Amino acid sequence: MTQYITFSNFSQARRAEHNEVSFNLVALVPELDEKGEPIPIPVEPIKLTGIEKLRFIQPYATVRFMDQAKAVIPLALYLILFKLLILDQIFQDGWLISGGLFAVIVGLMFFMEGLTLGLMPFGEVIGSGLPRHSPLPLVLFITLLLGIGVTFAEPAIGALQIAGQNVDVERAPYLFALLNNYSQVLVLVVGASVGLAAVIGTLRFLYGWTLKPLIYFSLVPVLLLSLYAGSDPDLIVVLGMAWDAGAVTTGPVTVPLVLALGIGIAAAAGKSESGLSGFGIVTLASLFPIIGVLLLTLYIATAITPAEIIEAAGQAAQAAQGLPLGWYARSPGVEIVLGVRAILPLVIFLFIVLKLVLKEKLHSSGQILYGIGLTLIGMCIFNVGLTYGLSKLGGITGAFVPGAFMSVETVPDSPLYVYKVGLIIALAFAWVLGFGATIAEPALNTLGITAEELTNGVFKKKALINAVSIGVAFGIALGLARLIFNLPLLWLIVPGYLVAIVLTFLSNETFVNVAWDSAGVTTGPITVPLVLALGLGFGNATNAVEGFGILCMASIGPIIAVMTTGLWTRFQANRQLKAARQETEISPGEEAPAIL
Amino acid sequence: MSERIYLTDVAMIHCIINAGTADRILLAARDMGARHAIVHHARGWGTRERMGALGVAVETDKEVVSILVSSNQQDVVFDALYRAGNFDTPGQGMIYITPLEKAATYVPKAIRDRLDLDEGIGG
Repeated sequence: MTQYITFSNFSQARRAEHNEVSFNLVALVPELDEKGEPIPIPVEPIKLTGIEKLRFIQPYATVRFMDQAKAVIPLALYLILFKLLILDQIFQDGWLISGGLFAVIVGLMFFMEGLTLGLMPFGEVIGSGLPRHSPLPLVLFITLLLGIGVTFAEPAIGALQIAGQNVDVERAPYLFALLNNYSQVLVLVVGASVGLAAVIGTLRFLYGWTLKPLIYFSLVPVLLLSLYAGSDPDLIVVLGMAWDAGAVTTGPVTVPLVLALGIGIAAAAGKSESGLSGFGIVTLASLFPIIGVLLLTLYIATAITPAEIIEAAGQAAQAAQGLPLGWYARSPGVEIVLGVRAILPLVIFLFIVLKLVLKEKLHSSGQILYGIGLTLIGMCIFNVGLTYGLSKLGGITGAFVPGAFMSVETVPDSPLYVYKVGLIIALAFAWVLGFGATIAEPALNTLGITAEELTNGVFKKKALINAVSIGVAFGIALGLARLIFNLPLLWLIVPGYLVAIVLTFLSNETFVNVAWDSAGVTTGPITVPLVLALGLGFGNATNAVEGFGILCMASIGPIIAVMTTGLWTRFQANRQLKAARQETEISPGEEAPAIL
Repeated sequence: MSERIYLTDVAMIHCIINAGTADRILLAARDMGARHAIVHHARGWGTRERMGALGVAVETDKEVVSILVSSNQQDVVFDALYRAGNFDTPGQGMIYITPLEKAATYVPKAIRDRLDLDEGIGG
């Protein structure tokens, strides 16, 4: 039977559940002085109990945690399930890896929050203030130094250094030397290349240069140096790392900070931001480091011989065996030292610029200090997580995947499948990994929106995201295939970039900008270490000399895919236009003058 | 006892002022005990259109400051804001108060304890 309740009874029942309190009991009313003027009430801070503070922080922390977890967990699950279901292997050290992945998530959460609170406002103050106060050459010089600073602060750079510990000195002496004895110089060179790219990118917005000739001019030395290095058996092993260095640099610190400065300079020069002005720096910042690293390699090759490096490494290893390592040379101490060394130079540099060149004070300096502190803590936690989580996960998976099609020590009963089936499984694994890691990248979403706006909706956001993801997927699969068949990297890179040059020549400026920049946005702080470690583990298992070169294939893939999609879109649009014209020709009439 | 607290005797002061001048309103309100405010960016319309050539002197970019006050506070805050906003000058915008039926938000425990709700202030 239906029970009827009168509305007044209902609202009384509802009223019983709450207290009505006059706001007058809470709000403060100023007292009046003898002249009848109200006396201002001093502001007192809000006091909260411990539980209230937790409840306050919980949504703030959850959102930021989930942002990072969404990027890390699906990838990790994919790797773990793949290993469990296809390779029929369980992870050893599961707890250690889970803890490491948790550290990666927490570290990135702190780092990104610190970046928005601390480093970005710093960058914006300098970006908007510096070009107005200082002459152009000084501004460009500071841009160059900033490029070095941000490269050190880039989280993925640590992965390159960690990867160096696994290189076999006997087989790849120069690669070993670059990543170990010269690792700081290497980062410095990469940083200087990024700085130079930032300078040229800034000049580009200032004078409105088109990107196409810049791409041609930077590709010529890149390809020539690569061909030269490829002709020398000692140097050829460095190529993969040199090309990967380009992909590592364009991460969450570099892109926004360098762009803030560049746009500030353009704004101060009275150049309005023409949609495309933000592009180009990312492209150049991923090409120039290749030149830088190859030149450094050539310098090292003239300075020392492989035999000397092997001897020095042997001595160093012996010496290290003798004495116990200090806390700073052991994990996790070494990660903390690396983290501090990554962030502090950038902060000190920004601070010096602010004080000496701008002579300005920071607004809300407490918050900025808090942000910098968070960045520092985040970087250290991230580095620890990198060692125990991402690098380990990638390395182990990479070491096991070849078990699908060939006999490796790590996998009992390998090969698990018939050669061809196993090969297809391994390549499909790489393809899906590349696709999955890219499609969820937030930076790609932003680029997609920009691209759609720039082309007035002709190039849909979804089309761009799909093109880039498919490009990365094929890139990673090809990179893995290269390791399996032990092909020289040059065979893939030179034709790849030649195709890219032809496509660049055919495409219009907008697509060229979007396509070349899309290569840079896909390589974030999670993908880079994972893919690097995967390649190195894979390379070790298949007994390849080195496992680099996958990331750079993941850069060229999207460039080609995006430009091809762009050309196809244009072709479709032209065809529609032609069809429309033919129609008007058949029925000549009033519309023709309107079109003209 | 219920956790829910509804506030009564509440009023809303709105100040419509030229863009970029909200800060002095906010500071004046803060000193009078109204510590929280929302600033909306807005566009005004009407006066400029009716002023002929002089209309160019009327700013169309506005800010609207909304401040929640108690009924005992409202007059003293209104008075302070009137002076802070120079509303006796032409072209400076306007200020008004509306009584509100009810308001609710999270009330920190320190204040709840002070209110002593068990003693039956509420319904």
